[in-house]
Amino acid sequence: MNRALFRAMFKQYRKKVAAISTGIVLYEGLLTWVYPVIAKNSAVMEIAESIPSAVKTVFGVPENARTDTFEAFISGQFFARIWVMLMALYGIETANALLAKMVDDGSLAFLLSTPVSRSEILSTQTGVLISTNSILVAVTIFGLYFGTFCSGIEIEHWRYLRFGILGLSFFSLIESYSLFFSAWFVEEERALTYAAGLTLAFYGLDIAGGLSDKLSWLKKLSLFQLFQPQEVLEGTTDPAWPIIGLSIASTVLWYLTKKVFETKDLAI
Amino acid sequence: MIKVKELTKVYREGRGIRNISLQVDAGTAFGFLGPNGAGKTTTIRVLMGFIKSDSGRVTIDDYDCWREKTEVKKIVSYLPGELHFMENLTGVDFLDLIAGMHCDCLQIKKNRDYFVSALDLDLKILIRKMSKGMKQKLGIISALMLDASVLILDEPTSGLDPLMQKVFIDLILEEKKKGKTLFMSSHQFAEIERTCEQAGIIREGKLLAVQSISQLREAEYQTFEIEVESEKDAELLKQSQLNLTPIQGGCFVIRVAGELDNLWLALAQVRAKRFRQRSLELEEAFMDFYR
Repeated sequence: MNRALFRAMFKQYRKKVAAISTGIVLYEGLLTWVYPVIAKNSAVMEIAESIPSAVKTVFGVPENARTDTFEAFISGQFFARIWVMLMALYGIETANALLAKMVDDGSLAFLLSTPVSRSEILSTQTGVLISTNSILVAVTIFGLYFGTFCSGIEIEHWRYLRFGILGLSFFSLIESYSLFFSAWFVEEERALTYAAGLTLAFYGLDIAGGLSDKLSWLKKLSLFQLFQPQEVLEGTTDPAWPIIGLSIASTVLWYLTKKVFETKDLAI
Repeated sequence: MIKVKELTKVYREGRGIRNISLQVDAGTAFGFLGPNGAGKTTTIRVLMGFIKSDSGRVTIDDYDCWREKTEVKKIVSYLPGELHFMENLTGVDFLDLIAGMHCDCLQIKKNRDYFVSALDLDLKILIRKMSKGMKQKLGIISALMLDASVLILDEPTSGLDPLMQKVFIDLILEEKKKGKTLFMSSHQFAEIERTCEQAGIIREGKLLAVQSISQLREAEYQTFEIEVESEKDAELLKQSQLNLTPIQGGCFVIRVAGELDNLWLALAQVRAKRFRQRSLELEEAFMDFYR
């Protein structure tokens, strides 16, 4: 990891991270503010329970899951769909900008003309990616702690922390394959298309698999099966194995990316 | 210092460089001349370890430019031909980054201040708000401030105004006095002529010649345009030993190699309405090699 490069790259992304963080915290503030009102209104809960399971799946609520908890509410309204897509898109776009875009527009030439090896440049860019990802996840979890505290909602803090770690490893894997495509194609548009296409394919499989029993096997093909916010937050699923699996996959992919990037011809 | 032996690198679409060999001794300057797409930048990319050669051996100070590229960059400063920066940084941020990725020593900062003042650049401006010339200056400063023993510059003066081109040449001559080895590609013969001892001419991926600048000067053609007053003058001009190409009416293009004595003799016999020297273009200067 090169300190000067990390500092410069982080400086480039800090405004973007700050803007996304502000958006997340404000949205969480809104959700935690309205939840007590909704929870007291039994009619709203009845409507939520009467929604068909296929429709619930579209909003990221697992089949047969409870609908009367704060975890169900925050998962359906935020974590299971909006947050996961926001973070995934951030990871894909940033991974692309940190590698493929810099090769494509030639700005990597200056960095590669220094006595810092390609693998060190890659590890620094990965460091920027992971650290900004960590900041966004931390802001999300601590923002929710704050929101629930202010609204008097009781939550199991430890479960939310574990969910944050799961999110971090899940998005790290998406960022890892985005970096891999960047190193492989060294072309912004193609790398972005493949990374976004793969993520949307996983997302589509997750939704399609929940629409009917016949299609439920599709879910098993989706990476999103490893990311089940409501179940983790309610404590019905242990995220430890998904975290380990996702982290190992990210490490392997990063190693492959390093091998590819070290030997790639860079016409810059 | 720089050794290129039988270097071949062909891209998928068929462009590239074939069987290039050259050598640049320590403390000397080598100019690499050729038209667009001739293979100058490809050669430099191999030297910088950005791309791997298909065959041949390329070394700088006996370090292999591909296998030991990190070692090579400890002794090399580089200015890319196409300048693309991280646009959200200011000039000072960018130079701090490059210095930090080298050794971040005090000497680099001193050098930076010197070159910033010589090239008159405001470093506080965001790079995306800089003009092409300002970006070129920033690139030159980032290459020269490192005080590396080898300078590899790809068309360093493109985008600079004539005044700054002169300042740049003066700075390069100062660097040469310090014993630096220079490898510089250019379209401009004048720039190479003033800074380099040797020049290589490349076209369509093949190195046509490597000659000393003094040899090239002898082979250099100068081109003039003349318009004479009458047909009689035109006849007299035609009878002279000069290499003439008629354009229209009494207008001719005269190409002269080496000494200009014959030209002055012919001009003394005719009445000229108009006489001017054409700007010396690379294509003209090296026509013999190109044919």
